Amino acid sequence: MKRILLGNEAIAWGLINSSVDVVSGYPGTPSSEILSTYQFIQRQFNIEAFAEWSTNEKVGFEVAYAAAVANKRSCATMKQVGLNVASDALMSAAYIGNKGGFVLVVTDDPGFYSSQTEQDSRMVAKQARIPVFDPANPKEAYHFTRHAVELSEKFETPVMLRSLLRVCHSRQIVEIEEPDFKPREGKFVKDVSRWAALPRKTRLIQAYQQMERIQELTQYNWEKLIKPKTLGLKPGKLLILTAGTSHNFVLETMESLELAFDVLKLDMPYPLPIKEIRSLFDGYEMVLVVEETTPLIEEQILTSKVKGKLSGDMHLVDEMTNDKLLKAFQKIGVYQGENIYPNLPYQGEIPDRVPKLCAGCPHRDVYFALKKVFKRRAVYPSDIGCYTLGINQGVIDTVLCMGGSIGMAIGFSVAKIKKPIVATIGDSTFLHAGIPPLITAIYTKQKFVLVILDNSTTAMTGRQPTAEQSPQIDIKKIVEGLGLQVLEYVYENQMEKTVDFFKAVQKHSEESELPTVALVREFCVLDKPMMLEKPLPGQFATVDQDLCNSCKRCMVEFNCPPFYWNDNKKIEIDPNFCVGCGACMNIVCPTDAFIGDDR
Amino acid sequence: MSKIKYQIVATGFGGQGTVFLVKLLSICALHNGVECLGTENHGMSQRGGTVVTDIKIGDFYTPVISLAQANLMIGLHPEEALRVVQYLSPSGAIVVNAGKDFPKLNHPTYRLDAFHLAEKGVFNIQALNIFMLGFAISHVSDFPFSVREIEGAIYEINPKIAPMNLEVFHLGLSQSP
Ligand SMILES: Cc1ncc(C[n+]2csc(CCOP(=O)(O)OP(=O)(O)O)c2C)c(N)n1
Ligand code: SF4
Ligand code: SF4
Repeated sequence: MKRILLGNEAIAWGLINSSVDVVSGYPGTPSSEILSTYQFIQRQFNIEAFAEWSTNEKVGFEVAYAAAVANKRSCATMKQVGLNVASDALMSAAYIGNKGGFVLVVTDDPGFYSSQTEQDSRMVAKQARIPVFDPANPKEAYHFTRHAVELSEKFETPVMLRSLLRVCHSRQIVEIEEPDFKPREGKFVKDVSRWAALPRKTRLIQAYQQMERIQELTQYNWEKLIKPKTLGLKPGKLLILTAGTSHNFVLETMESLELAFDVLKLDMPYPLPIKEIRSLFDGYEMVLVVEETTPLIEEQILTSKVKGKLSGDMHLVDEMTNDKLLKAFQKIGVYQGENIYPNLPYQGEIPDRVPKLCAGCPHRDVYFALKKVFKRRAVYPSDIGCYTLGINQGVIDTVLCMGGSIGMAIGFSVAKIKKPIVATIGDSTFLHAGIPPLITAIYTKQKFVLVILDNSTTAMTGRQPTAEQSPQIDIKKIVEGLGLQVLEYVYENQMEKTVDFFKAVQKHSEESELPTVALVREFCVLDKPMMLEKPLPGQFATVDQDLCNSCKRCMVEFNCPPFYWNDNKKIEIDPNFCVGCGACMNIVCPTDAFIGDDR
Repeated sequence: MSKIKYQIVATGFGGQGTVFLVKLLSICALHNGVECLGTENHGMSQRGGTVVTDIKIGDFYTPVISLAQANLMIGLHPEEALRVVQYLSPSGAIVVNAGKDFPKLNHPTYRLDAFHLAEKGVFNIQALNIFMLGFAISHVSDFPFSVREIEGAIYEINPKIAPMNLEVFHLGLSQSP
């Protein structure tokens, strides 16, 4: 059947049509729709399978990997920074291998659209010595997923599918088969020398086996994937080696510039048959390598003929575009024509549109109250999630990585910075990587405030459920289990109460030699089931134009999306965007200009 | 029909439904037997940030629209429209939701103050994307799909709310700049 599929949907279909029946991972843009689409298809076709989010990527990896050790076909999904978290497990799994096919799907985000790094996960595959597929579009994502499952089973090694934002979140018409789901039986065959290989003796054996395996995979890559494509090559001025989405940019730019060079796409950029590929260079004057994001192919096959990132002819940072390729063609001297991709932006001023917390989001009240109580002087390490947007309210000083807020709070405390330290972290992030640093903070006796903003969902990445959906799991009990008293506040739209709560938190912290944990129970206004259960109060706001004295305070410290400056330089509230949470009508305005709007 | 090559950049801010337009037009492509590529922004952009979506209908390789290539831009907000003008080809058309103060640009421009119309109660602002699509189709002569084809796609995406969406689509069709 032909369907329009998002790259991530195509990957989910590839898993279903390979009878993969264990999928686990942790959400992260641009990877999240892989698991959620799998769950959707699962429900639609009544497929019996395990497809669940884990507390973090390392757990997600281990669950899927162990299932494959137990003969199942499985998949772990995560974004590129998530792979950092799962890498510990991956590096060992790469020696040990698996029985059923095991695909590690990792999504990269060149251009930093929604990630804190631009790292190239293919480099991690190379370090782990596992093969990696690099699809160019949703069609390939579907087929490569299936191929990866089979290859993993054949060679008993984890196989990575590295997908890029422009595959994950691009749509294309894809031909897919009807599901014919035949999962493998789960069984664990004991083999201590393999599954529990210890250093040094047994691991050394596995390391040699791994080298052999990678040799065979290299040969496979040449014979099955590359060699058939080399038959049409006609040596001339330039050979272009491509991988992933870069292939599309190369073909499109060449077509538009009316250039014709030989192009060889490498579907599996590691491990490469280096000798065989270099032998193809004979007869060409130059070889250009076009890939994202780091020069993985280029480093492997480098000779004096090779141009690319290492020679300074291709860009090193940011996403691929046709105009960057045109410039590379000019630099290496194969194109002298005009720049058909001129950059002529609008010359007037366009105000920046920064992302903001949603209208009615309780995170906003928490940051407003924190600033009111702990003032500008305090140092605010924060973390990654919707609440990072508290940066707009001037109440976030550092952002590092998931869980980093608590580790950094410890470091600031150790450095004796002589200022109050107030860390903020979301519930999903706390469960993901916040518990080990909190334990460290307690036994090393660090003093700071930790605010856990608990909206019971992973809001930033599209509201995936967190572990707290199970009644047994409660962050309060977890923290209490560490011997700390938890100061709990169930969010109310009365800012006075929120401020009073944080005053109590401040007092507690001043009298304590340990971390003070404040747990704020919130909701997410985009979460439909949550909002159905407990709707917003319908207290819409407007601004009394006589009382507004243009002091900016509400804009700087609260900044709800419907606030805007009108032509009289006074604040107004756009009724189309006010959701009636009522939070701004209390304390936010120093002259109490925010009043009810009887609509 | 298979010779068609048409590139549309649709832009707005998070929550305005530009991604819906990509879905809609790709369904039209599927039924017409034409290739189609689209790409969209997720993540932070959903919290009211800029959203840019590219739709390329016909034989293309990458879903990303390059500088100076788009045949049409649909801007759901004036500022967002101005942010992407460099992606329009010199003859590319602008369809924009904007007031009279929208600057004169060197492109055929069809402007409609949809925010004002929504305030007057002409249509529900939630359906701005479909309203502007209707407006675009009635004024852009080389638009690759017919009113009929779009109607079919609107129905296919969500039959339940199709009657409401079709009504807004037709309201959009009947507006003059
Ligand atoms: C290691 C890692 N994995 C995943 C992500 C993607 N990501 C960004 S924020 C976030 C979750 C935020 O959820 P939560 O802490 O509950 O805060 P909320 O968005 O609900 O306010 C995730 C998974 C990431 N940035 N880093
Ligand atoms: S999605 Fe939810 S948590 Fe995120 S800003 Fe909106 S209301 Fe707040
Ligand atoms: S009541 Fe105030 S805080 Fe709540 S959504 Fe409306 S403007 Fe924003």
